[in-house]
Amino acid sequence: MKNLILTLAVFFFATSSFAPSFAADKVFNAKSYMLDNGLQVVVVENHRAPVITHMIWYRVGAADELRGQSGIAHFLEHLMFKGQKHERLGDLKSGEFSKIIRSLGGNDNAFTSQDYTAYFQSISSDEIERVMTMEAGRMRGMFIPLNEFSSEKKVIMEERRQRTDNDPRAQMSEQMREALFPNHPYAIPIIGWMHEIEGLAYKEVMSFYDKYYAPNNAILVVSGNVTGEQIFELAQRTYGIVKRGDIPNRARTKSPPFIAKTSIILEHSSIKEPIFRRTYRVPSARQNKQESLALEVLEDIIGGGATSRLYKSLVIEQKIATGISMSYNSASWNDGTLSIAATPSSYDKMGDLKSAINAELRKLINNGVTDDELLQSITRMQSEAIYARDSLSGPAMIIGYSLITGSSLDDVENWAQDIKSVTKQQIQDAARKYLNPDAPYKNPPIDGLLLPKIDEVKK
Amino acid sequence: MRFILTCLVLLYPSVSHADKFLDIKEVTSKSGIKAWLVEDSSIPIIAMKFSFQGVGSKTDSLEKQGLARLASNTMDEGAGELKSQEFQHILRNQSITLHFNISRDNFSGNVKTLTRNKDKAFELLKLALTKPRFDEEPLSRMKDANKSRIRSSLSNPKWMAARIQNDVIFKDHPYALNSGGTLSSIDNISQDDLREFHKRLGKNQLVIGVAGDISADELSILLDDIFGGMPIVETAKSKKFDLKNSGKTYLYKQDIPQTIIEISQKGVSRKDDDYHAAKLMNFILGESGFGSRLMEEIREKRGLTYGIYSYFREYDETNALHISTSTVNESASEMLALINDEWEKMRAHKVSEKELKDAKSYLIGSLPLSLTSTSSIASILRSLQLDELPIDYLDARKEKLNKVSLQEVQNASKRILDKEAFTTILVGNPQGFEKAEIITKLPNIE
Repeated sequence: MKNLILTLAVFFFATSSFAPSFAADKVFNAKSYMLDNGLQVVVVENHRAPVITHMIWYRVGAADELRGQSGIAHFLEHLMFKGQKHERLGDLKSGEFSKIIRSLGGNDNAFTSQDYTAYFQSISSDEIERVMTMEAGRMRGMFIPLNEFSSEKKVIMEERRQRTDNDPRAQMSEQMREALFPNHPYAIPIIGWMHEIEGLAYKEVMSFYDKYYAPNNAILVVSGNVTGEQIFELAQRTYGIVKRGDIPNRARTKSPPFIAKTSIILEHSSIKEPIFRRTYRVPSARQNKQESLALEVLEDIIGGGATSRLYKSLVIEQKIATGISMSYNSASWNDGTLSIAATPSSYDKMGDLKSAINAELRKLINNGVTDDELLQSITRMQSEAIYARDSLSGPAMIIGYSLITGSSLDDVENWAQDIKSVTKQQIQDAARKYLNPDAPYKNPPIDGLLLPKIDEVKK
Repeated sequence: MRFILTCLVLLYPSVSHADKFLDIKEVTSKSGIKAWLVEDSSIPIIAMKFSFQGVGSKTDSLEKQGLARLASNTMDEGAGELKSQEFQHILRNQSITLHFNISRDNFSGNVKTLTRNKDKAFELLKLALTKPRFDEEPLSRMKDANKSRIRSSLSNPKWMAARIQNDVIFKDHPYALNSGGTLSSIDNISQDDLREFHKRLGKNQLVIGVAGDISADELSILLDDIFGGMPIVETAKSKKFDLKNSGKTYLYKQDIPQTIIEISQKGVSRKDDDYHAAKLMNFILGESGFGSRLMEEIREKRGLTYGIYSYFREYDETNALHISTSTVNESASEMLALINDEWEKMRAHKVSEKELKDAKSYLIGSLPLSLTSTSSIASILRSLQLDELPIDYLDARKEKLNKVSLQEVQNASKRILDKEAFTTILVGNPQGFEKAEIITKLPNIE
């Protein structure tokens, strides 16, 4: 679907997939430059096919919206395709941006997260200058007719209906997130609450754009059949003429510590299969690099695939679940999240399922992981790095979301050595601190139970 | 270096591989097993994608719907002396991807490995193909997972619409069955059924695509080693049929704010003379996303939907053109009227020269974008063979597309587009569909 919103699920690929290959190697051998106007430019050379992926990442997302204006960052992402004017970089009419890309044999799209908004094109490397000129042109030159604003608002309301309001699972996720981040902007859904989308005014969206879209609040990442020098030179001629902006500091409200455990329960007539979810607040890579690395290994050992601890214990041995997975999202400016999702093998196993998950966590907290588990996990994760290079847009994605959420290029490039530094003790400590069922950390996790309407359950 | 290469291409264009779009070799093993290969040692990765043609879910019986799917789920759950967990443990620790999947027509496999683990990867593939265990424990675990998947899907209106669509457009053909099985049919499937299914896989049905860090000589030996021991199995000849229930509208009422709309009509065969004209026509009509006529009229101008697409689906025994979209319940009939208008417009008038030029430019220019990973190259090699296209098709394709005229596009529109033949599935609570046939129970679920 076009103009996708990145949800937590997307980060599943992110967290454990960018492990480098051989310990001494850098993952992508990227080159980095800085323009005078503050735009960082990162290039990954890859000459296997005559194509490139070009991505611009803005350090602004849904969590930067003013209270009462939810959905504005994502709305803006849509409007960026609705026309632009720039005396040196050229004018485009509404819809023309994507049509030109398409007519040149390329694909384009965009996505919005809590912390960033990104726009990308994949296209023949011969067209790189055209693409950079067009993308630079809308950095501060967005120019949209008022009637486009109101018809696009309708599109976004349809998008919300399609993604969220048609789907009880999405509705439950929205409420779980709201509960997990009290008094923090991560509580607000990226797409926005329907009544606030409806109320958004043209002026409010434009002022958000003017405030945050500027070269010194963005990162350009290009991967593919180009050289670093070529892109740096082109960037100076295109993005280089865009004026620096006066970007406000990120001042995000914080959550107070809570003591009560919270469960979100949704009984819904269209649900025929119960689902259990739990989400913890844990450190992101930016907040605590070493703990974040430990959590990546923990996720792999405890919740990664058919031979992980949770799957083996709950699905194969105890048969109280038909499926279980864990995912850690580390690419976040404030707290990251670690989520567990499971399907109980029958409706009345929900309680057993929760206890069994807690029992596995207690086992981890008390006994830690074994030498073998640690060694195998690190080897696996390092192998993943070679696979990560086997892609055109993958490297640009990984570098983009890592840098835009506060990691450094070195953090990405040296991931292989860094992951090797994780110890058994660090994994056990991270589990004890953040995942302890008997002593929750500052904000206890939220359990979500999605259930059939009780009178419809066949006993 | 780059400069020298360029000169060589100019001087000797006819003998250099550099002027080919993709340097595909056909590799034939001693015993006669064929594979298409694109060698690339720049990254230490090998990908292999293969299909057994004709052994997809269409071979399932009504009572045992889901058999092919369940076989694909369990063939990587233990083989030879290795039980499920041992097998999976090696795959995971050596970072090998090895799994099977099905379509209505084919049973397929997918292997991806680092060069350094290739021996183990292909040894396990051979074991899985020739000595699958089908043990009771993984079988019952996969049955549970599949039943759970079906029940979970019952809250997904798009899935419901697809289920109804397959049931009505393929009526009385095995394609109409639920390829993922039903809650009761899955329980009917035994270890013996899986063993019987496994006997349907024969080396004569294979098409194989390989890409990455492996030479033709090495692959030739490997092909015999992996597949050589498999039997030769005759499969039923496929028979063409037309989509059923054209002109009808079905409504499955759900209490949701939006109506899911899925429309089908006859499509066009990959081998049809009009194929390239039809492909260009549909790109302009609804396949391209932004810029397509459907997207422009319905999303960009009117804000009635988040997305609308039209796309061809080719099966061995029939072909379809589908339209997928959704809109707020109140707008469903307006949406259908607008789609009808676009169908008429496309038939009545030639597309503009610019539309055709841009469509050609995209379909030709975007091809390299689908060749940017080892796996995606292997996939293309497999699908070219499944479509029975010549090995130089990717080079010939450009000219085939380029020479399509405005008149040929219109001829294709007139021949293919037929709004009277629409089979329309609605899931939601739309207004103004009193004449629609009401579906009260999803077919082939229980």
